[in-house]
Amino acid sequence: MTLDPGTLLQILFWGLYAGCIYILLATGVNLIFGVMKTVNFAHGELLMIGAYVTWSLFVLTGVNPYLLLVATVPVLLALGVAVERLAFRPVLGSNKLNEIFLSIGLIYLFQNGAALLWGDDYQSLRSPFEAISVPIADFRLPLDYLIIIGVTVAVLVGLQLLLRRTRLGLALRATSQNRKAAMLSGIDVERMDMLAFGLGAALAGAAGTLWAVSGQVFDPYMGSVPAIKAFAIVILGGLGSIPGAILGGLFYGLAESTATYTLGGAWKDAISFVLLIIVLVIRPTGLFGERGE
Amino acid sequence: MRYTGLILIAGVVLAAVLVAGCSTEPAATETPATLTVGVVASMTGPASTTGKDMWQSAQLAADEINAKGGVFVKSLGKNMTVRLVQGDDESTREGGQKAVTRMITDDRVDVLVGGFSSAVVTAHQSIVAENGVPYIITGASSPTITRRTDINTSMMFHHCPTTDDYGEKTTLFVDETVRPAVNEKFGFPPGRPLRLAVVYQDSPYGKGVLSAVNETITTHGLDIELVASEAFKMGETDFRTILTSVKAKKPDVIYPAAFLNEQVPMMTQARRDVGLDTIFLAVECNDDPDYYKGLGQYGDSSVIESRFSPYAIPKGPIAAKVTAYRNGYSARFGGFPGMMGASTYEGVYVAVAAAEKAGSTARAELASALSTIAVPEMVESMEGGVISFANPFRESRSNLYMEQLRWDAGLQELRPVIVWPAELMESPFTLPAWYRPGSG
Repeated sequence: MTLDPGTLLQILFWGLYAGCIYILLATGVNLIFGVMKTVNFAHGELLMIGAYVTWSLFVLTGVNPYLLLVATVPVLLALGVAVERLAFRPVLGSNKLNEIFLSIGLIYLFQNGAALLWGDDYQSLRSPFEAISVPIADFRLPLDYLIIIGVTVAVLVGLQLLLRRTRLGLALRATSQNRKAAMLSGIDVERMDMLAFGLGAALAGAAGTLWAVSGQVFDPYMGSVPAIKAFAIVILGGLGSIPGAILGGLFYGLAESTATYTLGGAWKDAISFVLLIIVLVIRPTGLFGERGE
Repeated sequence: MRYTGLILIAGVVLAAVLVAGCSTEPAATETPATLTVGVVASMTGPASTTGKDMWQSAQLAADEINAKGGVFVKSLGKNMTVRLVQGDDESTREGGQKAVTRMITDDRVDVLVGGFSSAVVTAHQSIVAENGVPYIITGASSPTITRRTDINTSMMFHHCPTTDDYGEKTTLFVDETVRPAVNEKFGFPPGRPLRLAVVYQDSPYGKGVLSAVNETITTHGLDIELVASEAFKMGETDFRTILTSVKAKKPDVIYPAAFLNEQVPMMTQARRDVGLDTIFLAVECNDDPDYYKGLGQYGDSSVIESRFSPYAIPKGPIAAKVTAYRNGYSARFGGFPGMMGASTYEGVYVAVAAAEKAGSTARAELASALSTIAVPEMVESMEGGVISFANPFRESRSNLYMEQLRWDAGLQELRPVIVWPAELMESPFTLPAWYRPGSG
């Protein structure tokens, strides 16, 4: 198989783009797990809701969908806070099975709620920049992908600043590292749970906006596959480790893209899990598991 | 006063006996007043756009039949109304199995109509076969549907062209029309083989299309070179890498075997992101108003194989019926029906015709009637002008045609014109100015 540099660059770019979506999703999962030690299986549905919120606002206002991130992210943050407060908090710490079944139940609740609110039909939206492309080597990269990569980097930098440079971030990290010690030092850990879940949902909402604006269709049932991949990335990168989620997401996106090119599209999902198994056999805690925990 | 309580109790008991008598006695002699038709459609899940089209079209057919007095069943000596039961397959194999099981055991349907996606239908066929229910399949195009030998398909009737049928027609169209147009426009020798790429769903449907293309090229000795065949998983939405791989093979034409929710992002990403300035073909199941709306200008000059279009009416005897059906659908549900709706609409009429022919609603007799039925064509042009399953595999035979989509600046939406075959042609096929042969 011959591979010219232009094609190789394109393949890597598509991997990078997919990686951005995965990173935002997996970082949210990790943030929630890190603080609450619970896994939200309905996380992919938050991405779906993010896509629909952006789409609805776009249909209503006609505003540039990238700018609608400013509205979508707070809506999802509020939804995340509500879900934590009303659904997770009552069962948190009772039994892991309760938490698992609660989040599985939320999948159906969100899917059916979205179908009721927005209908079952798939939707899509068009970026205002879809006609603009940037020449890179011998191919023209649509501007949208550069914006998506830029937005992802900006969101991650913002998150890092929040976690590393603010008292709130310190409290979140303290809760993540030792919940009892955090409580004893006066941190309101339940508030931290709420915040972590809200931030996780907001990141999924941002991923949903970018998903929609990149020209991918979405429907109420589209969240499951991205969510499964996000969980795989979290395990690959190490449970609770945000750097692990970022590197894992990138690794996954690129692995999927190159596998699709070399082995065919039918391998797209499978190859990621093959890699996951290999990594876990060699390093059961994931790439950054020990450090992150 | 002493007797008041006794009188009241006696009154209640008497009333209860009378009410019970009233409600049970007629039921003992009551005969079924309806022909119960189970409609298998994807009301939820990724294929729900198509599923709703199928269900609404079935409703329209049932209403039309009931408005005319229903169906006369000789054995009962009276007219029966058509009652539809919805079976949502949830666009999944498991959902389809649940839906048909419920319709057969709980709703006790007399006949099943519908079924979209070969993968979904294949998964629930065994349940239908075990229960001996006649099934008019109107939306699954794998030829294995009525040709498989692992189950008894003798009560299943395929009212939908198979992947063999439309894969062959589409490939012949490419050879007869697109290849000469490309060679002429770009000054290539007339014998230059056309470079075709197939991007197919990894399912019986997608594999069926790929197999039909290969078979047609070989059987007819066509000057077509299959330069790429790339599979994708059902429900995929990101085709960029697959299309980049296809682009590297420099195809003249790309033939996706995809559903609506896959075809639209695939073509959009191909034109917008990957820079594939080529002609895209499409399978008939995409001929739906949402297809024209979803593609926008990215669908300009693409080609779709069809047998019923919401926006093109082929010349011939069915034109008036197509218009009436479209208008009836539009008046009731808004918008126009798609192709899967059209065949399901006909499917309900065929089920009713079978009940009339059989003079019974017994499942075995309905199946027997279906195997020899000849219903005049309705909203889709049929070979010989009739819907008939009188061949070894109980498949009806449609007349297929190709449409080219053109951007209507006034409507700001795509509209089709029939470009093939010659007897139905409204306008010749044209290559757009932006087209690049061996696009890559």
